[in-house]
Amino acid sequence: MERVAVTGVGMVTSIGTGREEFWPSLLHGRSNVGPVESFDTRDYSVHNGAEVRNFDPERFVLKLDPYQVGRASQFAIAAARLALIDANIEIDRLDPHRVGVSMGTTSGEPREVERFDDNNVANTLEQVGSSFIRRYPCNLIAGNVAREFSFGGINVVIPTACAAGNFAIAHAFEVLRSGRADLMLAGGSDSFSRITYAGFARLGAVAPEICQPFDRHRKGMIPGEGAAVLVLEPLSKARARGVRVYAEVSGYGLSCDGHHMTAGDGEGAARAMSQALDNAGIKPDEVSYISAHGTGTPTNDRLETIAVKRVFGESAARIPISSIKSMLGHTMGAASAIEAAACALATLHDQIPPTINFSQRDPDCDLDYVPNLARDHRVHLTMNNAYAFGGNNASLIMKKCES
Amino acid sequence: MSFVVFFRPAILRKIMTNDEIRAIVKHSIARITSISPEEIADNASYKGDLKLDSLTILEIAVDTEYEFKIRILEDELSAIDTIEDTVNIVQQHLSAATSG
Amino acid sequence: MSRRVFITGIGLISSLGDSAAQLHAALCSERSGIARNQSFDIKGLTCQFAARVESFQAEKYLGSINLRPLNRSSRLASAAARLAINDSGWTPDALAQENVGLVLGTMFGSLRTISEFDQRILEAGPTYVSPLDFANTVISAAAGQAAIVHKLRGVNSTISTGPTSGLQAIAYASDLIRSGGAKALLAGGVEELCFQSFYNFDRAGLLCACNKSHCAIPFHPQRNGFVLGEGAALLMLEDEASISQRGAPVLAEIRGHASGFAPQTDDNDEAIEAIARTMQLALSDARVDADNIDCISASANGSIDWDRREAHAIAKVFDGHSGEVPVTAIKSLLGETLGAAGALQVASAVQAMGDGVLPGISGLTQLEHDLPLTHSTNCNQRIDADLTLVNSIGFDGQCCSLVIARYERTN
Repeated sequence: MERVAVTGVGMVTSIGTGREEFWPSLLHGRSNVGPVESFDTRDYSVHNGAEVRNFDPERFVLKLDPYQVGRASQFAIAAARLALIDANIEIDRLDPHRVGVSMGTTSGEPREVERFDDNNVANTLEQVGSSFIRRYPCNLIAGNVAREFSFGGINVVIPTACAAGNFAIAHAFEVLRSGRADLMLAGGSDSFSRITYAGFARLGAVAPEICQPFDRHRKGMIPGEGAAVLVLEPLSKARARGVRVYAEVSGYGLSCDGHHMTAGDGEGAARAMSQALDNAGIKPDEVSYISAHGTGTPTNDRLETIAVKRVFGESAARIPISSIKSMLGHTMGAASAIEAAACALATLHDQIPPTINFSQRDPDCDLDYVPNLARDHRVHLTMNNAYAFGGNNASLIMKKCES
Repeated sequence: MSFVVFFRPAILRKIMTNDEIRAIVKHSIARITSISPEEIADNASYKGDLKLDSLTILEIAVDTEYEFKIRILEDELSAIDTIEDTVNIVQQHLSAATSG
Repeated sequence: MSRRVFITGIGLISSLGDSAAQLHAALCSERSGIARNQSFDIKGLTCQFAARVESFQAEKYLGSINLRPLNRSSRLASAAARLAINDSGWTPDALAQENVGLVLGTMFGSLRTISEFDQRILEAGPTYVSPLDFANTVISAAAGQAAIVHKLRGVNSTISTGPTSGLQAIAYASDLIRSGGAKALLAGGVEELCFQSFYNFDRAGLLCACNKSHCAIPFHPQRNGFVLGEGAALLMLEDEASISQRGAPVLAEIRGHASGFAPQTDDNDEAIEAIARTMQLALSDARVDADNIDCISASANGSIDWDRREAHAIAKVFDGHSGEVPVTAIKSLLGETLGAAGALQVASAVQAMGDGVLPGISGLTQLEHDLPLTHSTNCNQRIDADLTLVNSIGFDGQCCSLVIARYERTN
């Protein structure tokens, strides 16, 4: 079976669009969490979010009309365009039928349904017009990327909520390994949503000010938005093209708790990690860096720590594990895709991003969370964890490609 | 399947007895869990006695807030273990509202 | 090494019954699931019809568990899962020991739950939104709920590719088994009928406009849109080792599949090309030729453009033999069930191959002029079919094709 390389990364985030902005921001611990602007939070119990500000879709959506597609699609197209440039892909030289798109999401295009509901409640449904079906369905996130670049290969959206990015990348990995495509764009995208915000606020899961994963005083997550796309292709083709390879996707593990819709139990998380290690054919102590799910909620961070210790045993204490949600907030379906891009960058540059806002150790969270400062570190193997509603767990492993 | 009457007060009186509050809470529980009010002990614990998961317990709390037009704070919510706890919190909020 | 993928059980909830046998009997006797829509207010809408699963009682399949946390999609999916688990002979003990997975296709998840949750924000404020509903606003909710009900702890994935989601989910699951990533998986799709999606499909001009219930007739010259339906269908897919270990009965084999996309949905030639290519790739993946295919389950649902495109694509692939390959289109009686469609088609095809009868396309008394499908008829046809090609095509350019083989014990 073909080995699969990551040759390009592109992202739209609240701390930078494109790797030239994003990676330095990550290393410098930047964060743009602040009062939510896309809707009025006056009646909500919390008010902060990590929105993407000043995103200009016209910069990136060049073939389609940028205002005929939803925000998550705009993000996805932008991230895809940036990734294709980063991977030095000459689109005209591709066989478009052999290029596929695999994207994850939580909400699809929530603004469309919000608009529908606003009008339904106000009894002005006729103002919704006829465009909902052409703008809303979540499969359009991958569909619009394919339309922008005229790709005719497999086109899939895997909406497994907060683990979706990892699912989408794992699927692209399988598609390439089995020879069904020559190139895959894989990632995730989500736009800020009052539905998501209200829901998490109601669960008591949203922090009032900042996201402090693993910190003793952590109070919850900060909802965010964004997208990331990775260009994946067979390693043999990447080498033939002479393109720089970030890392190789070498395995993944997917499991389900089968227990509770919104609260993970840690057991399934441990299983996904173990399966990923088995799938990649590596031992736990070979992992150089873990990109945590690390949402900043009291429960997740505690259970994730327990699960990591269970899987990694004694080596858990030595393996740096950080959560970039400390900077980006929780970008939902985009999260694990952005984190995968960060793992790819970490592997290329031998540097790992920090967990910021870390000021006090929690006795229940006693691993090396790379507090506040990025670190030079030889990154050979990374593991990227993601956990979602429905007890869904996904772990993805990437390996440095020695030339 | 037993037929449960879903009782929603037409006029919400601000001054209510604990028994009245308890009856409304039990009907909330019935609506959300299909456990009939007769099967619910006056001081049942949500987790231990009724075997409810955290999401369902929160749903009952939100439904209670909605019924009584009150807002229960996060730390009050996490202190609720039994129906009696709920009744007491509701009574506190209603009394605060009437004493204005 | 590529493992073979077998279907060992089928579970379905449809407007025409809750088993493959019932569904097949209904299709063969032209009983329609389409009726005047009375489940929500359709005043002022063009389409007055829908194929609802009437009198669906989840308790019948799921017993006395608390159903309040499960919305309609979750109940339909969980019920279909129960039936598939029973049909394939998996006991609760066996399920507890193995991590059986679930791959569920759905176009919308539950647009109704999402919308009702959001409406509560507007009407009562964010304080009073429902936590149970919030859990069901994720498109992957039905898969998560079904996994909790049935203790399915393997891979839990949701596939959204529009109307092709169900077939795409089966394709995804097949590949997981082929590559050794899973031994046993439930795969299929679900979609619920609701005002929110119905209204918007109607306003988009995609639904049929007529005053007779029998109007969304695939390939018919007067067709002018489809009728929405709902339902759920799940197949238990297993590899050879799992089957031997359990001594499980085998219903059919999934031989191959392919997926593609037509980026320009208003380009007729490109769309036909995309559908044809997808079919051809599915045949190659199954290592069969067009000549080996004994019948086709078409995706056609009464859409003006897409029915025609599929017909021409079939003609391209079957190279003039398309007149000889019997083609059925079960959406004539089931309506367009979106996420459930492809899975219902596979279930129906397995039954048809077993019975030796391909249901006719109900209402097809005339074929659209120049459509190269002379073996499409409103009459049931006797078949002796080893191989069936199932197509699922979306109005948004999605294409998926799957080849199913009748199972021979000597293989």
